Amino acid sequence: MKKCFMTIGLFFMSLPLAVPCFSAEPIKIGALYSLTGGMSSIDTPSLRGAELAVKIINKNGGLLDGRMIELISVDAKTDQKAAALGAKKLLSNGVIAGIGHSDPSFVLPSAPLFQKKGIPFVTSGATLPTLPMMIGDCLFMVPFGDDDQSFAIADYSFKSLGVKNVAIWTDNSMDFTKTLSKFYKQRMTELGAKIVLEDFFMMGDKDFSAQIARLKNVSPQPDAVFISSIPNEAGLTTKQLRESGLTLPIVSGDGFDTELIVTVPGKELANDVYFSTHTYRADPRPEVIQFIADYEKEYGVPPENAFAPLGYDAIALIADAITRAGSAEPKALKESLAKTMGFKAVTGEISYTRPSRVPVKGVSIISVKKGEYNVEEIWFPTTK
Amino acid sequence: MESNRPRYCLGLLIMFMIIFSLGIERTANDYILAIVSFTGINIILAISLNVTNGFAGLFSLGHPAFMAIGGYTTALLTFSMEKKPLFLPDLPQWLIPVYLPFFPSLLVGGCFAALVAQIVGISVLRLKGHYLAVATMGFLIIVQVLLNNADSITRGPLGLNGLEDFTNVYWVAGWVVVTIYTCWKIKFSSLGRSMLAVREDSMAANSLGVNLFYTRNFAFTVGAFFAGVAGGLWGHLITAVTPGSFSLIMSFNIIVMVVVGGTGSITGSVTAAIIFTLAIECFRPLEENFGIYGVGEIVISLVLILILIFKPSGMFGTGEPNFITGKYKPLNPTN
Repeated sequence: MKKCFMTIGLFFMSLPLAVPCFSAEPIKIGALYSLTGGMSSIDTPSLRGAELAVKIINKNGGLLDGRMIELISVDAKTDQKAAALGAKKLLSNGVIAGIGHSDPSFVLPSAPLFQKKGIPFVTSGATLPTLPMMIGDCLFMVPFGDDDQSFAIADYSFKSLGVKNVAIWTDNSMDFTKTLSKFYKQRMTELGAKIVLEDFFMMGDKDFSAQIARLKNVSPQPDAVFISSIPNEAGLTTKQLRESGLTLPIVSGDGFDTELIVTVPGKELANDVYFSTHTYRADPRPEVIQFIADYEKEYGVPPENAFAPLGYDAIALIADAITRAGSAEPKALKESLAKTMGFKAVTGEISYTRPSRVPVKGVSIISVKKGEYNVEEIWFPTTK
Repeated sequence: MESNRPRYCLGLLIMFMIIFSLGIERTANDYILAIVSFTGINIILAISLNVTNGFAGLFSLGHPAFMAIGGYTTALLTFSMEKKPLFLPDLPQWLIPVYLPFFPSLLVGGCFAALVAQIVGISVLRLKGHYLAVATMGFLIIVQVLLNNADSITRGPLGLNGLEDFTNVYWVAGWVVVTIYTCWKIKFSSLGRSMLAVREDSMAANSLGVNLFYTRNFAFTVGAFFAGVAGGLWGHLITAVTPGSFSLIMSFNIIVMVVVGGTGSITGSVTAAIIFTLAIECFRPLEENFGIYGVGEIVISLVLILILIFKPSGMFGTGEPNFITGKYKPLNPTN
């Protein structure tokens, strides 16, 4: 809080230095994140990332000859009603763009309201690939689609790990995990691998011994197990699989992009785990290093997870589009966003060239061996 | 002696609703309109739960389940035929050409919820007290699991989106008046008196010839009907329905309104619904300007605790205020 006041104080003190921007009115951008409730551990880092981006842009003199960005944040409370109300609140505040949400179930009630007014909405974390089609031409995605991350890890497990028989575990309580499994199965079958076992669990499960027993008894034995889960179960499944003596590779998507897969089982057991995720973790690109340094300087802790850079990228993407359009009008901004080509975001390059308008973005394949994260390869979607 | 006061009050309520909706529709922005609509929907929910929980004393936690049934039914019925195959590719063939305008859809949604309540009620309403609460909670979970897994009709955890935003202040105001009127009439009819009697002492009521099962089932069904309608209004206001929204948290929120307002008091439910919906929104500027998110919920919980300590019967108890009933003695429910 003190820091916040100090920042505001510093901002006002620095105003005389930037005389030309006195007359310019701020560019209002709305942020819709669930800062309370179940999504808050994912959404709060996103908002902090976005706030960091705004601060850096304003410190460097703002956009369009010194217009400052004003980020208006509304709490979506992990609740659809609050998300819809929040969207209406932002729209009546006169924002020129909205960002937010890490889950499609909150994008669906809020983004159509932006669409109706013709104001662009950039989702920083929702990865459902059909979102732009479902909502319309005002919706833009910062992350890749679930199909891309599943295809990436499927290609890697088939080609590099030589997996011919695979077992699939799915968290059956979420749309995200179900979609991930669906696309993984689709790609593996296309490639000619065989799915020898499909098993399910629910979010919040603590004991996976039944699934492990079935995995041990299946014939032919799988070469790898694909676990579609969110971070909490990622750590637990890894621990229990390794403790039961199974050493087969574990593969997954960005639900495994968490420290928990090392901290829960311990370094020794966190071995032979591969997952596809946003090109950010263990990545040496200058944007990433700069972002991590800025984030640590601002908040005193390293970025909590990949959602922090995604929130940062959402603002940076809008700022870039405003600069290219030379205008902060929603219509011009929307057209300019749609033309984004090769924008160097922290989480990888973003181009909107596909008809589905899901960004063509690299996907990192990360291996965990004895607790060490390493980027194995960067996968790019082939279909344009 | 029967007073004419309630009739005048109804007339006043209708006039106020008309003037208020016309006025606010012209002057307020979308945000305010949405808050007003949500307040109205919460009033419908609180009153209808009051019929079940307050009048008949059936502690039901299953209200959001009926909302979900009504919401999904209405959503499927109002989905245009062109949109259906696009959003729901696996929809059973016979459902594709089924289409109804908004108002009949709401009625069908409400009736379907009522029908389900009838069927569920036959088995569940034989239970009492905590057992009933647990059974209705189980029903809520069953509905959620069904919605989560019947992918072809409900699109699973993602829910249905892209509904038309039919719900506006007029629809909500109309349904609020209908709900208040119906529930008021029930409360002051012989059926309503039997409900209150069943709540106070079921054995005494039974020995006086009140059919316990019929009375309880009626209260449960009426509550479910209005919950179904409210679910339909809710879905078309947010333009999306997902299984996650109709959760246990929501049923607690509605129960809080009933308890704070006074179990059995329609005026109390209306007042509490208005206060709770508006209070949470009033704390928003505070949260946003100072970055202390969640303070609204904390204050509300504190108020709830204080009310339960100092006025456990709620703001209005079981009765209605005298200036509406026209009586100068507090209403004694068992007489």
